[in-house]
Amino acid sequence: MTSYVLRRLTTALVMLWVVGTIVFSVLLIVPGDPAELLLTTGGADASTDAVENLRKKMGLDRPVAEQYVSFLADTARFDFGDSLIDGTPISETIALRLPRTLELIAVSMVVALALAIPAGTYAGLNAGKRFDRAASAVNALFTSIPGFVSGTLFIYLFAQVLRILPAGGYVAFAQDPWMHVQMLILPTVTVALHLMTIIFRMTRASVLEMRAHDWVRTGIAKGLRRRQVVRRHILRNALGPVITVVGLQLGILLGSTVLVEFVYNWPGLSGFLVSSVQQRDYPSVRAVILTVAAIFIAINFLVEVAYSLLDPRIRLT
Amino acid sequence: MSLSLPKPMRLPSLILLALVMTLVFGPMIMSADPISISVKDRMALPSWSHWLGQDEFGRDRLARVLYGGRVSLTVAFLASVIACVVGTLFGLIGAYFRGPFEFVTMRLSDVVLCFPPILLALLVVTLFGPGVTTLVAVLSVLYFPAFARIAFSEALRVAALDFVEAARALGAAPRRIVLRTVLPNILGPISVQFSLTAAASITIESGLSFLGLGVVPPAPSWGQMIRGARAFMNQDPTGILVPCAALTLTIWSINFFCDRLRDTLDPKHGESAGKDEIAKARADAAAAAAGPAQILDADVVAQVKDLRLALPRPEGPLALIDGVTLTLRQNECTALVGESGSGKSLTSLALMGLLPSAIRPAGGRILIHRKTGGTVDLATLGERETEDLRGNDVAMIFQEPMTSLNPIHRIGAQMIEAIRAHKAISAEEARARAVELLDLVGIPEAGRRIDSYPHELSGGMRQRVMIAMALSGEPKLMIADEPTTALDVTIQAEIVELLQRLRQEYAAGMSLLFISHNLGIVAEIADQIAVMYAGEVVEQGPAAEVLATPHHPYTRALLDSMPSAHEDLHSSRGDRLAAIAGTPARPEARPSGCAFRDRCPQARPCCAESRPELYPTGTRAARCFFAPGADQPQEREAGA
Repeated sequence: MTSYVLRRLTTALVMLWVVGTIVFSVLLIVPGDPAELLLTTGGADASTDAVENLRKKMGLDRPVAEQYVSFLADTARFDFGDSLIDGTPISETIALRLPRTLELIAVSMVVALALAIPAGTYAGLNAGKRFDRAASAVNALFTSIPGFVSGTLFIYLFAQVLRILPAGGYVAFAQDPWMHVQMLILPTVTVALHLMTIIFRMTRASVLEMRAHDWVRTGIAKGLRRRQVVRRHILRNALGPVITVVGLQLGILLGSTVLVEFVYNWPGLSGFLVSSVQQRDYPSVRAVILTVAAIFIAINFLVEVAYSLLDPRIRLT
Repeated sequence: MSLSLPKPMRLPSLILLALVMTLVFGPMIMSADPISISVKDRMALPSWSHWLGQDEFGRDRLARVLYGGRVSLTVAFLASVIACVVGTLFGLIGAYFRGPFEFVTMRLSDVVLCFPPILLALLVVTLFGPGVTTLVAVLSVLYFPAFARIAFSEALRVAALDFVEAARALGAAPRRIVLRTVLPNILGPISVQFSLTAAASITIESGLSFLGLGVVPPAPSWGQMIRGARAFMNQDPTGILVPCAALTLTIWSINFFCDRLRDTLDPKHGESAGKDEIAKARADAAAAAAGPAQILDADVVAQVKDLRLALPRPEGPLALIDGVTLTLRQNECTALVGESGSGKSLTSLALMGLLPSAIRPAGGRILIHRKTGGTVDLATLGERETEDLRGNDVAMIFQEPMTSLNPIHRIGAQMIEAIRAHKAISAEEARARAVELLDLVGIPEAGRRIDSYPHELSGGMRQRVMIAMALSGEPKLMIADEPTTALDVTIQAEIVELLQRLRQEYAAGMSLLFISHNLGIVAEIADQIAVMYAGEVVEQGPAAEVLATPHHPYTRALLDSMPSAHEDLHSSRGDRLAAIAGTPARPEARPSGCAFRDRCPQARPCCAESRPELYPTGTRAARCFFAPGADQPQEREAGA
């Protein structure tokens, strides 16, 4: 077990390094001078002064090896440099905004798991019956609605027509807990809906697969209660694949909440990211992406460890 | 064209085709311009000249939706094609050359998977600025590793298939092998990935356009239309509804197509109508009305009486088990013998109330003498009572010890749950009992092995665990469904020996129903034999007598096809094993009259005319017109 965890940890660290290196080298691969590229808008060339200034600011005038080493060293210390736009330290901005994004994702994940796992299990156990067919059809529809579309429609419905929820915004929990929760509802529902479609699908497929296994028949032949068979010999086995998918989705979610946060004006990482992209503040964009990739790798590491606890055979590989 | 498509593909193909046609040709036949602004008509309602009204700049909304869809589709299609071609090439090269190519292909996709797609897209947009070209480039980079990975693993899988090996052995050039055999085979998964990629590309393109970082205005795009109309949704809800609906419909139809395609290419992926025991058992009203259970003789543990099982079909039920009667007595081993498909396993599953839900009991009854005294009819029991009976009065071991234990639970936990299902004892007591049982079935160091996972044990050991588990409820009847078939020959003998020993020493009086097609093993263990063919018992009687002087031609044929029966003849005469001609009768193609007649060396015309009964002689019985005690249909005999 320990050796399995150590091996996975090593892989995760190597991945982190590779990701960092790739993000770093994107600037080198780009044809032409990156500073010039960043300052070019709509075909208008930037002034030589401005380009020179930016090169200095981003350290592009130093030798590549030196840039690389200091990039790695700074990143390891969570020092992402200063924003090109207003000069504030990027790590401070991230430290301020990241928790809000994580809150949104965590709450959505809990909601999605609580609803989609029972629904998926029930559909899988009763595949082909009425509930399963209805749920699968609804699921197919929701899979096809991008988050920003459902978000926009929700705002129209709940904030404009019904006027029961705020259209967006953010208030710190400490400041006004009730308002905070109200503002959290729509973004949570939007993100959770998207997650649910994936978790439902995966749970259903996994349950459907597991219930055909011989050990389920053994469980029944032993005289276990139906609920015990479902819980211990179908659901427990089905959870492995489900948490793997959930882990992967959490990573993708960190990205796709960008749109949801934007729709609801939720001041998480995304607002910062979008404005940085618009203003072509490369160091900020790079920092956000590194943060997200790091969280993603960390989540997947945890998922692998959790999976190995659920299924002892995994530890052998 | 759609006529040659498999049926489930027709509807999604038609929808997708209609959608693509509308977006491709729609703008050609309409006159409205998607970018001409008319401020005085801002947010005008639908009219004859503007079917979907006008947007916040007075532009024709229908034109914008159609042109916008064109942009979305173009971006998605171009990106998917590039990703598909480049990725498939990468994958095939990786699979063909292996080594460093393989490493690069696989690791590349790992790394790309680390970045949420939309973030990677944003990174590139930061550098190059928004625009259609950037979008296509980003999306192709995002999705080509997925293609590479699929092409790689599918190519490896296909390359290992027999016919590709055969092509190689026949000397086909490698390039030819790839083009002729590998490529057509990986086309399925690749085309599924293609539609997935197209749908994902549209989502990301519209998302980026919504953020104002995708398609650059004034070129129309659905994401941008939603972005623009958002500010005015209060006054003009059509503004957001139209592009939202268009986007959802497009993604939905691609997904729909993709789902159906996947199901068509890989039927396993769809519904499995396989083992269904877990579906809620329903009380059989007809059987429940059949009256009180009869009292069985004191030494009878269970009795199957005229059991009929059928598979309902639109054209009428298909008989799978046709009037099987078995009497299982205390301290006796009854062997149920026959080829696969003869209905032996179904009969035994019926005894456990474990029939797949698709199969309907069509008649007969199963009576079980309970440990608590009293006889019950299995069909009249509710779910709870059946659960109480399973593992307690009747226990079962299965053919596949490798898959019959749950791989994620320790064997101890699986035994303890079986013990505690029928006895109200503490976990510690149950554990002690489990160790005792494991020791009894000959598992060395039972106290330590109890904490093993199934994959840490050999097949023979696992079958011993299954036996220990079956014994844990101290059943009066144990059903062993081909318990040795999946094991090595030496292990087979050990397991049979163990079962024999247990019956003699430990579980005295336990009745054993032993299902097998191996007459050698049956000869060793059985007291009684019932031979089944095409869902019927064709011969039964004391094992020694039936094996020595078979009355039914089928039993004789089974014995002739068995090596050990020939042992004394073999070498001297160079005798060959006789194979039974033909294949077992399938339930849907059962011959009239005697089911065995088309494979029977002694068949006469009369065998086709009526079905022989099970004619008894003393302790034995056989279902053949020419068996001792049979009343041959004389008049027909004369006619022949």
